[in-house]
Amino acid sequence: MRAKTLALPRDRRSVWGTIISQRELIIMSVPLLLYKILFSYVPITGWTMAFQNFRPAIRSTWDQQWVGFDNFVKLFTGINGERFIRDIRNTLAQSFLTLIIGYVCSILLALLLNEVKNTGFKRIVQNITYMPHFLSWIIVAGLVSTALSFPSSGGIVNILLMKLHIVSEPVQFLSNPNYFWGVVAGSHLWKELGWNTIIYLAAMTAIDPALYEAADIDGANRYHKMWNITLPSIKATIVILLIMSIGWILEAGFEIQYFLGNGLVVEKAETIDIFVLKYGIQMGNYSLATVAGIFKTGVSIILIAGANFIAGRLGEEKLI
Amino acid sequence: MKRFASLVLAAALVVSLAACGNGGESTNSTQSTATNSSSPSTTAQSGSTLPVLSPDKPVELSIWITTNQQAPSADNKISKLLKDKLGVTLKYEIITPDNQDQKIGVMLAGGEFPDLIGATDQNARLVTGGAYIPLDDYLKPEAADALYEHVKPYWNKIAYDGGQGKHIYQIPNYNRFYGEITGGTNYGASAFWIQKAVLADAGYPDLSNMTLEKYFKLLEDYKNKNPKIDGQPTIAFEVLAATGREWGMTNPPEYLAGHPNNGGVIVENNVAQIFADKDVSKRYYKFLNEMNAKGLVDRESFTQTLDQYLAKLATGRVLGMYDQRWSFGNANDALVAANKDERTYVATMPTFDGVAPYYADRDVMNINQGVGVSVSCKNPDVAVAFVNEIMKEEWQKILSWGIEGEDYQVGADGRFTRTEKQREESRDLVWRSSNKLKALEDIMPKHNGTFSDGNAYGPDGQPEEFFETLRQYDKDFLTKYNKKTWRDFNNQPPENPVYYPAWNIALPDGSDAQMANKQLTDASLQYLPKIIMAKPADFDKLWTEYTGTIGKINVKAYEDAINAGIQDRIKNWGNN
Repeated sequence: MRAKTLALPRDRRSVWGTIISQRELIIMSVPLLLYKILFSYVPITGWTMAFQNFRPAIRSTWDQQWVGFDNFVKLFTGINGERFIRDIRNTLAQSFLTLIIGYVCSILLALLLNEVKNTGFKRIVQNITYMPHFLSWIIVAGLVSTALSFPSSGGIVNILLMKLHIVSEPVQFLSNPNYFWGVVAGSHLWKELGWNTIIYLAAMTAIDPALYEAADIDGANRYHKMWNITLPSIKATIVILLIMSIGWILEAGFEIQYFLGNGLVVEKAETIDIFVLKYGIQMGNYSLATVAGIFKTGVSIILIAGANFIAGRLGEEKLI
Repeated sequence: MKRFASLVLAAALVVSLAACGNGGESTNSTQSTATNSSSPSTTAQSGSTLPVLSPDKPVELSIWITTNQQAPSADNKISKLLKDKLGVTLKYEIITPDNQDQKIGVMLAGGEFPDLIGATDQNARLVTGGAYIPLDDYLKPEAADALYEHVKPYWNKIAYDGGQGKHIYQIPNYNRFYGEITGGTNYGASAFWIQKAVLADAGYPDLSNMTLEKYFKLLEDYKNKNPKIDGQPTIAFEVLAATGREWGMTNPPEYLAGHPNNGGVIVENNVAQIFADKDVSKRYYKFLNEMNAKGLVDRESFTQTLDQYLAKLATGRVLGMYDQRWSFGNANDALVAANKDERTYVATMPTFDGVAPYYADRDVMNINQGVGVSVSCKNPDVAVAFVNEIMKEEWQKILSWGIEGEDYQVGADGRFTRTEKQREESRDLVWRSSNKLKALEDIMPKHNGTFSDGNAYGPDGQPEEFFETLRQYDKDFLTKYNKKTWRDFNNQPPENPVYYPAWNIALPDGSDAQMANKQLTDASLQYLPKIIMAKPADFDKLWTEYTGTIGKINVKAYEDAINAGIQDRIKNWGNN
């Protein structure tokens, strides 16, 4: 549009015309635009810290000592580098596991709930599954840590497994690093399952009942209808949500890893955010924390652009 | 690796039975002090350049305190007294020590602070971050007289160079002694603690020349005889490894080798060296590894938080652990409140090869700890005047003993005493929150030692009061061991070296030394639990991995910073 305008100045009036005719819409969008500029773009000036040896006692940004790419070198090499790369791996692994398990299960639950014709039962299941969403993560972390501890400390999961004779010795869920990703994904599933189904259930109500009726006439059973009508109808929703989630892939959560991540499991538990907290905020090394933040932003932009591109290629809805 | 250790916190936290009181009628309390001739008088400041605090000019001060103590309840009688006498209302923000580092990081980044900041951060990050104003101009006889008196003899020690020359920013909160040094009844610092019931069961064995083998034998025998305590499985030994208390896992080797607490280093001939990868450490963790194989180490040690650890101790089923007394004070209070005196602990001091133990040291004045005035404070004169007023004896007595006639009595001989009811109240955690200002007392400068009238700073320093406060079980226990105080279970501390202790040498933010220190702590957190829990056959392999990781850390930067600190102290502290 803009290129066209430049090439053909005579069209300018029509652009102005458009602007004038849409002035209410434009005025309405101004506060949101300001909000975005103020809280999303102005803070980017803080990225200067990444190239400084930032000391909070010096209040002016320009009086700080400039160190070039020193902080980047510090973060990505040596013992810090090994650790940071390990933390990237942990963040990605936990995120993907959480995302995949969370997606599959909530779509599955939504499909099943959609088939339930008894409204009372449907409501009860929905309520029970989405209630945990309203608990704060720190409470969930406390519950998880108790539930997974030893029977003598009230570890209900171990009590159950032993009563069912699935295991003979209590499982050390919280001190074996190999279980940690699973614990994170499981906790997310328990907390967010019901909540995530709501949007799919909403999408399913929009499906034209005539499609189901037509399928009935064609002799389709319930599974046929689920597979051939319900799922394709909510495909657009699924894809959009997926693209949006990809942007958050480096936000694997913080509280649960922080609370449950003891020394025994640290090699699988520590995420980028925890690294930033430990080495940035707790040690007052804001520059290092900023470098990690820039890195996260960069990766997120690449991921979301990639996902968007692929979705476009597959002929699906695009976010941007 | 350490460095939380405000040993002295012990003295007060632990023993904080300081409370007392006949009843909770706060109206009576204010009346009684109002008519009391020794009540804090605002005229004391006439002639001073500081503003006079009075109820006619009410002020509100915000204060940020790092403490394990809880905030006082809204109806607290001492808070009311502060308002009635000085016109001061305090707005508290209380941070537990394990959350202090990140709170400081966030506050420094924001650049907004409460009026008064009481922190215990050994690295003086708030000073170097420009959060405090220098107090030098106030610390004069004609200005903050009581505070001047407090810091005068120790100026060199207290003053800190935060990048703008040496100034005093924080008034130390513990162990600046006046008069006779007291507090010799309780022991607040490091030991391998053991339940009194275990010793009683073993027939009160001799505790001198203690070794790890003897210590664990006692635990093991008792556990075999009593597999359950109050219906729950007995735990022989607990390892403290919670965030902020990692020293519970890393510090023991230095004591076993016969050295005092210097944090992550052993200092010999004024030269500091880390010991995490040395033979003393290997020997300790190898021993723990064997004990774990025998089922004597709690398997949940390394996954629990500090709260879960303390809750476990408070059940009374943990027979022993290495810890500092002040650090598990809350668990101890809970055991005492539940009348489980036999489940409380006494100190033992195991060492390797018959080396003389050096667990107990002489009480060290806290530096880089305590309260200061922030750069955001609108009226620093008032803030300083308040701290100065509190430092005077009248208010010191109110903070530690309570209100005369209500929380304690003055005998005909001028000695302070308490009745049985007052002592019992002082053990009651709920009573304390409405009748004591424990959090404020913890961070404010204190008149440790004795007052000018000869009474001790607090009830626990008053020998006759200490004995009377003991319950019968403890009295009998001490008699069996032919000892008079809990401190008698420790070594006699020699004079501290000039530089001592190295754990409070500040490592500046963003320095290589600070980074190395953090990496050492993280490496110990990652490997030591594995090393202790491993099958004995895997020990050597894991130990090699651990020392290999330490080898990659810039340990030299850390040791150099500590050694520079030691040399600086030897040069500048020699005279006081």
